[in-house]
Amino acid sequence: MKILEFEKLESTQKKAKEIVKEAEPWTVVLAKEQKGGYGRKGNFWYSPRGGLYFSVILPETKIEDLQILTILAAFCVAKILKEDFNLKPFIKLPNDVYVNGKKICGILTENIIFGKEVKNSIIGIGLNTNIEKFPKDLENVATSIKIELKKEVDNKELMKKIFEELKEKLEIIS
Amino acid sequence: MKFLIKIGDKEYTIEILEEENEIKIKVGEKEFIFKKEEEVFLAKTKFEKREFKEKKILAPIAGIISEIFVKEGDFVKEGQKLFLLSAMKMENEILSDFEGKVKKIFVKKGENVKKDQILLIGE
Repeated sequence: MKILEFEKLESTQKKAKEIVKEAEPWTVVLAKEQKGGYGRKGNFWYSPRGGLYFSVILPETKIEDLQILTILAAFCVAKILKEDFNLKPFIKLPNDVYVNGKKICGILTENIIFGKEVKNSIIGIGLNTNIEKFPKDLENVATSIKIELKKEVDNKELMKKIFEELKEKLEIIS
Repeated sequence: MKFLIKIGDKEYTIEILEEENEIKIKVGEKEFIFKKEEEVFLAKTKFEKREFKEKKILAPIAGIISEIFVKEGDFVKEGQKLFLLSAMKMENEILSDFEGKVKKIFVKKGENVKKDQILLIGE
């Protein structure tokens, strides 16, 4: 597992896409802050310092398996939130994780397809960990581990744990 | 074998004679002699085999065409972004695997597509 760590990025997905041609599979792009974090359809993902934002460059995988992996990623995050943090996560299929009716995690897979072949795949995870407060327009729809538990988590350790779970899941399904 | 060809107003009598070790081609009074070995050698020479790839882009998975980056008549390079296909929390950038002109685009932005549906053909 190779981790490329950044203080601030436009987006970990964007960075991963830039380096994907030269990067080894399972390389992780991690940022402490994102200026232009996004989810599906380019929707903005609020990414201040404190949250966990990372993208994983995946090995060559069939598109159907990638779809399953994306859905399983939500289960991986939910499992960790439940088992390690005693939270009650709710998975909004296919892959958003909610706690107390508010979104805590978003997952997005981006594939680059050359003609008919999947050339590169990147899975990005945004998890609200140590975010103390959300702006007014988000406070009713988003939450964080810190808001829920009043305690901080080690972002890097949590990232490694999610990473290992993802890797294991992909090995099982593909 | 003897035949007559006409180029412009001029007529040529061509005669092909096959002998034991050689082939004789007579054009009018001129004679061209080819050894049979040469014929074998010539027969072995082929045009370089070219593979003609089908210039066709299919949907790799079912989803919605969320962006179209090219239009009909555009010249595209290999690796150029053609479509963005959104499927079940996956965003798929579809790149061209051919170089050439976009002949026809079969889908519109916002359209639902099935797996293997033709999106574009090139020429």
